[in-house]
Amino acid sequence: MPRGLKIVLVILTAAVVAGLISLQPLRRRVHRLSDLQSAEEQARHAVLAPPISTPTDVTVKAQIFWAAGPDKVAPVDVDLPLSADPVERSRQLLQALIANPPSEQQRTLPADTTLSAFYIVSDGTAIADFSDAIASELPSGILSEQMAVDSIARTLASNVRGLLRLKILIHGQEVDTLAGNVDLTGFFDLSSALASPAAATKATSPR
Amino acid sequence: MMRSRFDPDRNDAPGLGRAAHNISAMLCVVRTSIFSWAFFLAVGSRALLLPAWPMPSSPQEEPQSAPQPAPPAPVAGANGPVVVLDPAHGGTDTGARGEGGIAERDIVLQMARTVREQLLIQGYRVVLTRKDDSNPSYDDRAAIANAYREAVFVSLHVASTGTPGTVRAYYDQLSTAIAPEPTLAIKSASGLVVWEQAQRPYIDVSRHLADAIQSRLARSFPGSPSQSTGAAVRALRSIMAPSVAIETSSISQSNRDALTGSAGPISSAISDGIAALRPSSAAGEK
Repeated sequence: MPRGLKIVLVILTAAVVAGLISLQPLRRRVHRLSDLQSAEEQARHAVLAPPISTPTDVTVKAQIFWAAGPDKVAPVDVDLPLSADPVERSRQLLQALIANPPSEQQRTLPADTTLSAFYIVSDGTAIADFSDAIASELPSGILSEQMAVDSIARTLASNVRGLLRLKILIHGQEVDTLAGNVDLTGFFDLSSALASPAAATKATSPR
Repeated sequence: MMRSRFDPDRNDAPGLGRAAHNISAMLCVVRTSIFSWAFFLAVGSRALLLPAWPMPSSPQEEPQSAPQPAPPAPVAGANGPVVVLDPAHGGTDTGARGEGGIAERDIVLQMARTVREQLLIQGYRVVLTRKDDSNPSYDDRAAIANAYREAVFVSLHVASTGTPGTVRAYYDQLSTAIAPEPTLAIKSASGLVVWEQAQRPYIDVSRHLADAIQSRLARSFPGSPSQSTGAAVRALRSIMAPSVAIETSSISQSNRDALTGSAGPISSAISDGIAALRPSSAAGEK
């Protein structure tokens, strides 16, 4: 075998061995960076979404709709200080929906989601404007997207009077779909969102 | 012919030739090791950095392929409506993503091919909205279905979530993209159907079709619901025909065959559903 080829083989072998040795530290470093990023995101989330409190807050038993199994949402009674003002009340409810699921398995919206704005129009239309994370971090699929919309609509319909329909915006814009499947160009009917939990797999009727 | 100064074959300087040979070999080694490292790091980093959480889809990112407006010639002896099978997503829009690179866009295409073959055997005329890894727009897909006078549109999906091994049939509940008023006109002043409202006259018949399919799916896939579900499925909004979406759970299954293997029972359910629907399918307005 030519001497040059031997040298090549030796160096290649050494390179592979060195690579294998450095693989584990590299993996640990990636995990560390990932954890760090996650912690930073949590901190940023906490800064961006501080608890909302208003002078009219009264602690009541609110019904928040989280996942109850892999394919439906169901109400959970939660003691929450809620404002008398419907806009502030809605923001408090949606913040609780995002931030305080009883368990990660019950989460319907990505943890990094923030409610950027919330309005109520005089005709009873609620407009909820979420950050990009609601679309970018939600698992794609009709089921998961419909559960996300359902949890928002039912939570609002169960706890805020006078809301008739819901419009969901992302980053201030109307978007075609939530995460590739569920249509967000329409309005979700909140009057039918108060169906019994047994029918929770039935979608909230958009109009 | 010009010769390199360090050409090892030069007879006039054998010592210099050996030195040149060694240097050349060393350079080769350095280049090879650099490429090896680069390759190793690229592959290793990619494997390490792939996220465990399914990546979001990016619908409509790639240039949309041209619609296929020309209906294919009917198959000899075919009967009943044209079944337009829609493998969801495609191209850069992967849809749901599982571990090991499994992607909804690939699974549903494979499922659509299987369902197509089985429906053809049963005498149906079948059209696919995409035959490869392209990503037609929602409107392009709708245009294919709307080119037929009597069609049934079936959009195939794989979920990110849900109990593995269960399958759901959906019908569209969305009716407007413009205004919330339920009285919003379905037809324009000229009498043409508003594209965004095209599914509205077919919602009832679509629900019957979805229920018929779901009842059969429930028998083939234990744990599946017995009734279909209404949802604002974007793919169904502009279809001027009975239309359903069928979503299999879930992409989290490590066994790809378990997902693609569901195509057989799904095609039977579609066939039975259409057969149950046919007496009332003519109610739809074209």
